[in-house]
Amino acid sequence: MSKLSFRARALDAAKPLPIYRGKDMPDLNDCVSINRAVPQMPTGMEKEEESEHHLQRAISAQQVFREKKESMVIPVPEAESNVNYYNRLYKGEFKQPKQFIHIQPFNLDNEQPDYDMDSEDETLLNRLNRKMEIKPLQFEIMIDRLEKASSNQLVTLQEAKLLLNEDDYLIKAVYDYWVRKRKNCRGPSLIPQIKQEKRDGSTNNDPYVAFRRRTEKMQTRKNRKNDEASYEKMLKLRREFSRAITILEMIKRREKTKRELLHLTLEVVEKRYHLGDYGGEILNEVKINRSEKELYTTPATLHNGNHHKVQECKTKHPHHLSLKEEASDVVRQKKKYPKKPKAEVLITSQQPTPETLPVINKSDIKQYDFHSSDEDEFLQVPSPVSEPEEENDPDGPCAFRRRAGCQYYAPRLDQTNHSFENSELADLDKLRYRHCLTTLTVPSRCIGFARRRIGRGGRVIMDRISTEHDPVLKQIDPEMLNGFSSSSQTVDFSCNFSRTNASNKHCENRLSLSEILSNIRSCRLQCFQPRLLNLQDSDSEECTSRKPGQTVNNKRISAASVALLNTSKNGISVTGGITEEQFQTHQQQLVQMQRQQLAQLQQKQQSQHSSQQTHPKAQGSSTSDCMSKTLDSASAHFAASAVVSAPVPSRGEVAKEQNTGHNNINGVVQPSGTSKTLYSTNMALSSSPGISAVQLVRTVGHTTTNHLIPALCTSSPQTLPMNNSCLTNAVHLNNVSVVSPVNVHINTRTSAPSPTALKLATVAASMDRVPKVTPSSAISSIARENHEPERLGLNGIAETTVAMEVT
Amino acid sequence: MAEVGEIIEGCRLPVLRRNQDNEDEWPLAEILSVKDISGRKLFYVHYIDFNKRLDEWVTHERLDLKKIQFPKKEAKTPTKNGLPGSRPGSPEREVPASTQASGKTLPIPVQITLRFNLPKEREAIPGGEPDQPLSSSSCLQPNHRSTKRKVEVVSPATPVPSETAPASVFPQNGSARRAVAAQPGRKRKSNCLGTDEDSQDSSDGIPSAPRMTGSLVSDRSHDDIVTRMKNIECIELGRHRLKPWYFSPYPQELTTLPVLYLCEFCLKYGRSLKCLQRHLTKCDLRHPPGNEIYRKGTISFFEIDGRKNKSYSQNLCLLAKCFLDHKTLYYDTDPFLFYVMTEYDSKGFHIVGYFSKEKESTEDYNVACILTLPPYQRRGYGKLLIEFSYELSKVEGKTGTPEKPLSDLGLLSYRSYWSQTILEILMGLKSESGERPQITINEISEITSIKKEDVISTLQYLNLINYYKGQYILTLSEDIVDGHERAMLKRLLRIDSKCLHFTPKDWSKRGKW
Repeated sequence: MSKLSFRARALDAAKPLPIYRGKDMPDLNDCVSINRAVPQMPTGMEKEEESEHHLQRAISAQQVFREKKESMVIPVPEAESNVNYYNRLYKGEFKQPKQFIHIQPFNLDNEQPDYDMDSEDETLLNRLNRKMEIKPLQFEIMIDRLEKASSNQLVTLQEAKLLLNEDDYLIKAVYDYWVRKRKNCRGPSLIPQIKQEKRDGSTNNDPYVAFRRRTEKMQTRKNRKNDEASYEKMLKLRREFSRAITILEMIKRREKTKRELLHLTLEVVEKRYHLGDYGGEILNEVKINRSEKELYTTPATLHNGNHHKVQECKTKHPHHLSLKEEASDVVRQKKKYPKKPKAEVLITSQQPTPETLPVINKSDIKQYDFHSSDEDEFLQVPSPVSEPEEENDPDGPCAFRRRAGCQYYAPRLDQTNHSFENSELADLDKLRYRHCLTTLTVPSRCIGFARRRIGRGGRVIMDRISTEHDPVLKQIDPEMLNGFSSSSQTVDFSCNFSRTNASNKHCENRLSLSEILSNIRSCRLQCFQPRLLNLQDSDSEECTSRKPGQTVNNKRISAASVALLNTSKNGISVTGGITEEQFQTHQQQLVQMQRQQLAQLQQKQQSQHSSQQTHPKAQGSSTSDCMSKTLDSASAHFAASAVVSAPVPSRGEVAKEQNTGHNNINGVVQPSGTSKTLYSTNMALSSSPGISAVQLVRTVGHTTTNHLIPALCTSSPQTLPMNNSCLTNAVHLNNVSVVSPVNVHINTRTSAPSPTALKLATVAASMDRVPKVTPSSAISSIARENHEPERLGLNGIAETTVAMEVT
Repeated sequence: MAEVGEIIEGCRLPVLRRNQDNEDEWPLAEILSVKDISGRKLFYVHYIDFNKRLDEWVTHERLDLKKIQFPKKEAKTPTKNGLPGSRPGSPEREVPASTQASGKTLPIPVQITLRFNLPKEREAIPGGEPDQPLSSSSCLQPNHRSTKRKVEVVSPATPVPSETAPASVFPQNGSARRAVAAQPGRKRKSNCLGTDEDSQDSSDGIPSAPRMTGSLVSDRSHDDIVTRMKNIECIELGRHRLKPWYFSPYPQELTTLPVLYLCEFCLKYGRSLKCLQRHLTKCDLRHPPGNEIYRKGTISFFEIDGRKNKSYSQNLCLLAKCFLDHKTLYYDTDPFLFYVMTEYDSKGFHIVGYFSKEKESTEDYNVACILTLPPYQRRGYGKLLIEFSYELSKVEGKTGTPEKPLSDLGLLSYRSYWSQTILEILMGLKSESGERPQITINEISEITSIKKEDVISTLQYLNLINYYKGQYILTLSEDIVDGHERAMLKRLLRIDSKCLHFTPKDWSKRGKW
């Protein structure tokens, strides 16, 4: 060992080590001591364990024998591999796929319940199964839901019922069992779970708490988003996607139903054609036996905007007459509200006319496609609170928006029970639900049963329905009603039309005029009639008094409107009132237009803007009989001018003009006008006397955008009195936007629609929506899209505009 | 002679145990816990110097009450004795016990090889010195101990809170620590908040919580009496019934069950066979829920991402914890990948073993925890797992090493693997042009992906390195060569790198693990 006098060099990992084998090997005795110069590497074991008996024995055995000896292994607790029921437990075989197994980790979480039934549960299940059928999986899902909904606090039976979609008895049984079992259960949950950490750190040393989150570590990473937040976002995304799926499915269902209806309708038409049932007699006969129910599913549940507004208004102007709709919703009063009652605008009344009556005209046939969009959609989406996206909804300022925190009651159905004792009235009564006996002031006549809707742009549309009473009703002269109309005014002063109660007729199809009149007088039948100006004033004054801060001066406004019209420099000469001639002319125009559009719809072509095209099915000889009369900007203009030219009679005319068949066919009045229009209008307004400067400023500030009045107010019986409010609003807007130089421009467009507009219309047509999308509306929709960002502002406009009008 | 009723936690006494050769032995054991089952007392005993996995519940008949040693009376107030984090990890910390004689010995159980006469023993037991104040424990114990015993008695720590940094100065040996840990009424939790404990844990700045980086290997800072005892009696997994070796944090309500039933494929736990049956109607897994990255014959490997497949990863960890002492499940499984080795038969891919691996290791670890399930042990699967882990490292182009500490079985397996791998290379070297073949340690490391230190330690362990004529040489003796050749004949299961379809991911570039 004297050789150890030198110091061995450190072992260099990069230096080659020659390998000596067998007989080449040097005498190891020379090497031993030197070998110690290489530092001993640690074993990597815990020191205390390194000394363990069995390990030491094994190590020494290995070093001695260079391989493991059976007796020198480290003993471990035994394991058995003789579970004899294994094959029964794990049923079936699994074939090894050729390819490597590849899985998507997120597909793993299937929706199976985590809870696994035990034999105790099985006993219960067997017991329950004597009375009802319950499958193990069903039971597990129930328990699973209960468990997951409970924390420390068990869910109550009530909650459980909400949670579980099962028979009440079953829920009770399972719930009671669960509560008992849970009480006896040692663990915190019937589904055994790893103890979770608590944030207060109290579980830091709990040996049973496992898999704590590495929060600190996460913080140290700069770009790490909080996992939780993104997780929640994912959840939200998922929720929204699934909602979209639901909606799409509902749409699919709806469209299917509509298609079915179309086919059926076509079939009916064909059959009738073959039968030669041109007047609808046969159909009426057939229909007469049908129950009302099927036809009336919608009215009571309409959810559209007007409907609610109606209620709103009513809360302010309660009438004693119980209208059908009045029952429904008690709505929180809204800020928007005050603009509506202000009613110096023409408004058509609309009377409920029971569709059940054996009334058939073409509109019946087409009904379905015009019904389609709006009402249906509202029906199908009973969303409790307005979604933000509803803000963008094309209904625009007139749209009803649900407010969070506001409770809306479902419409009361019992109103429909409000029936006439007089059996004679029965059929009229039926009509009454949807339509109302309506009279117009200019021309002063009764147009029979109609219902009033508000179209795009706030135009009022009368959907007329022909009844067998028509001949009689036509004789009714508004003058006859005037005597008492004022007395019945109180009923709905919010309307521009006085609603009178029309009287009854006999069942034998023809009530005498006097009978009807007497019925109206005795308030058994309601009749709408445009109101007189003085009535409006009192009306709006009422409003004013209700909404302090907003001054209402209808007179001034009407004056202003007139002034506006007079000062407007556009080519359209709208001066003063509207004559009957004008009205008639316009009606003709409308018919043409509507025909065009129908033709468009049917041919699905874009070539028919030639105004003279005749509607192939032009069976409706009169405007009122027309199935789809679409109002264009011209009519809008007309309407607006009618409005502006304030005198009562003209309003009546407008109403009349817009009155069509009882269906919803009619297109919406398209908003028109551009921001410039609006602006100029405003300028015009400013030059007109009687408008306060302040309002002007406001309006101008807001109206730089294209002014749209997407008042897609589909009227329904329920909306009856209240359309006014909407209308008021909308028509005011109309005043601004439509009655303007640009009307001309719009008119030209209608006659020569832009390709885009046509395209849009065609697309819409293919979607059964054509009647509502006329070229100009398409244009406006384009415009709307162009001005999308300002749309929110639009709502504001609506408000300010109203304010302006009011003052 | 003590009564059965007097036996409390912390007592030490010989306990009858049958060894592998079916011989009765009376190794010294420590009572860790006492329980009463229908009037019958059961004692949880840990055999000193045997691995914890052999700890068991025994009846009093197996206790040699005549040789019982009672634990020394302890101060009632929390002391620093626990020092849970102190692991005498390196040799230099092993201070001879005699140097502490002047230090503060604690009243700890004394490892006794001599027979005491009873009265004397009584003097030493707690009853004899009731409520000894704290400070008194800093004195040497009464002199009835022999010098030998004094040597054996090692202070686990100082009892006085004001004492600073005793852990490094007076490391305790294993038996002392065990004794302390087992003290009745000892609240280790309160200990954990001590300043000394902090010094142990200061590396991550979070007192009383293990470091967040690194693997799930326990640093023992949470070693307490609960985790020192097995809590699950039996686990049924597929065809097998396993007796757990260590504590595992399965839900506490399940620990009282005679058998815990696991789904063989998703490893979900159920409380009864019926539950398992029901579960199997809903669980359609027939393989670990990950991507298969290796298949040869019936052996497959599946890769499971601990973040993406939490429930399986957690279930796997819970099962593995039953057989891994140093593993902790303190933190989630997100930063780990799990490689599960399965054996296929017509029923599916049955789990044989697994190893976990950090997605990003700062310390060249290529394995965090590794386990062959007991029914498959000692059949070459462990080595196969290890081999696979190095194959992955080869694909990654890195060297790797298993995370420390190793268990006894881990050490044996790794040493065996390293030895065989390195010897294979050395013996495969042919001499070129008459020159003696030679190789550097770095080259070995590169070829095998075994970390350099492990190569050196293996060469040392095999005693291959010698210093000859001014340079280090490797010598392959006859018996080394023979032993290796015999061992390799038995090693039939090998990883075939051609069957590995694995693309390493660069986890550092991902926002998440």
